[in-house]
Amino acid sequence: MIETRQYTCIGCPIGCPLQLEHENGMIREVSGNECDRGAKYARQEFIDPRRSLSTTVAVSGGVWPRLPVKVSGAVHKARVLEAVRRIHALKVEAPVKMGQVLARDFMGEKGLQVIACRTMQRAGDISQFSRQLP
Amino acid sequence: MLERVKKKYGVVVVGGGPAGLGAALGARDYGEEKVLILDRQPEAGGILLQCIHSGFGLHYFKEELTGPEYAERFIEKVIDHDVDILPASYVSRIAADSDGTKKVRIMNEKRGILTVEAQAVVLAMGCRERTRGAVRIPGTRPSGILTAGLAQKFVNQMGYLPGKKIAILGSGDIGLIMARRLTLEGCEVVGVFEIMPYSNGLTRNVVQCLNDFNIPLYLSTTVAAIHGRDRVEKITAAPVGKDLKPDLSQAWDVPCDTLLISIGLIPENELTQNLGISLDVATGGPRVSSNLETSMPGVFACGNVLHVHDLVDFVTHESLLAGRFAAELARGVRRPGDNIQLLPGENVRYCVPHTLSPGHRHTIYMRCKTPMKPCKIRVGNLIEKKLRFVFPAEMIMLKLKPDLLDKFHGDSLRIDILPLSKEGRND
Repeated sequence: MIETRQYTCIGCPIGCPLQLEHENGMIREVSGNECDRGAKYARQEFIDPRRSLSTTVAVSGGVWPRLPVKVSGAVHKARVLEAVRRIHALKVEAPVKMGQVLARDFMGEKGLQVIACRTMQRAGDISQFSRQLP
Repeated sequence: MLERVKKKYGVVVVGGGPAGLGAALGARDYGEEKVLILDRQPEAGGILLQCIHSGFGLHYFKEELTGPEYAERFIEKVIDHDVDILPASYVSRIAADSDGTKKVRIMNEKRGILTVEAQAVVLAMGCRERTRGAVRIPGTRPSGILTAGLAQKFVNQMGYLPGKKIAILGSGDIGLIMARRLTLEGCEVVGVFEIMPYSNGLTRNVVQCLNDFNIPLYLSTTVAAIHGRDRVEKITAAPVGKDLKPDLSQAWDVPCDTLLISIGLIPENELTQNLGISLDVATGGPRVSSNLETSMPGVFACGNVLHVHDLVDFVTHESLLAGRFAAELARGVRRPGDNIQLLPGENVRYCVPHTLSPGHRHTIYMRCKTPMKPCKIRVGNLIEKKLRFVFPAEMIMLKLKPDLLDKFHGDSLRIDILPLSKEGRND
């Protein structure tokens, strides 16, 4: 049976309304796209929709109470909320360096990491970056 | 470790966000040795520090970074280049001496009030958010009404949630990003209300921040009233007609405890105005020449204080230039003034810079008034460029070659965005 899925292309501000026709999971046709990016996007969304993910974790003793973090690779769309819950369960203590790995093989995916997006100095240390004037 | 502020600088930069950092770096790259960045926050980085989503740096670093990463990379660069950064410092006044030297008055909790001298000043104060007062939403004044950017700071840096059941007025990118952020943090976002018939944010954000989480976007709809005594209890949503006025006969109530307002940004130009610098009503920022100098010689402007950008990479591009021109002036190099006025014409809301001169490479930033596709940009009778589309939410960047103005003898140049005629489409 032929079924249709609707997407909105994110390639540019036009935002073409895309229709993807598939039969038992086999893609038959993509229409509605004004350029090739649209077709590529619809196929990707149908086969394996992934999202980059960033959020914050609680950090104790830092200049701010929250530390921004990101996942090193894109997470499957359906697992985004689960991923955020797992990241929120992490416990982090200042000081933290930008790029520091906070979790390895995240969500059971080999090589996937949760990474700190900024340096977080301990509260009370005079300034965030040592050479900003005291 | 630097221990004291120098008394004299070549270039003083007001604001340590992406614009200020870029300007400082631009000045250093040109060879200016004494550069100072002043920032009122406890650390440099500006709003980037609260923009934890990725999507920054694709143009400049050729990779996708989060806001804090983009900021920290620049701060590291700036510090490596021996730029002085003085955080937690508020600039209360800038004054110009008769010889052109600028005196910058700074308030700092530990140091008290101090004044530094500068040959050139770069204004990089960024912008602030429009509030409820700007659109006069009727109703009560309970707790739970805040701008989207403030909520972003609460959630991403301070660790507070603004509420549990959130309505968002305005579909600019900050509002969309916050819809996703609050959903990920466990809040319920009941809807995004946009007065225009199209979203003011990137399509990517509409799809990934709203559609992914089944958050409804109500176009041509506004918030007609706010209810609740101590805390927001509900809002009244209403569709708008062509005159953008709410049609109360079709209004409905939406229960919520928080209303986020994301209805645009205003360049923050109090310091600029105190200097008597002339502003452009359309941008809300100063009028600048092609070397990003304001109407006061030796005072430059870049980033969101000049006009609101949608990509930080463009801010960086502009700021590196502003810093370089400021350093040039600090060294005593004086360019001849521009002799061509740039005028916004058909479907052009604004263009920056405001003047041009022949013999230079120019980058023109502009915005259209209404969406149009396909279309062409016409610069006087000199060049035409076809575009697949223009949207008010997407800034247009137009590069002009140095020889373009060589044969131009007028004193003003008009930029129009016009629909492509049928003949135009075929050629």
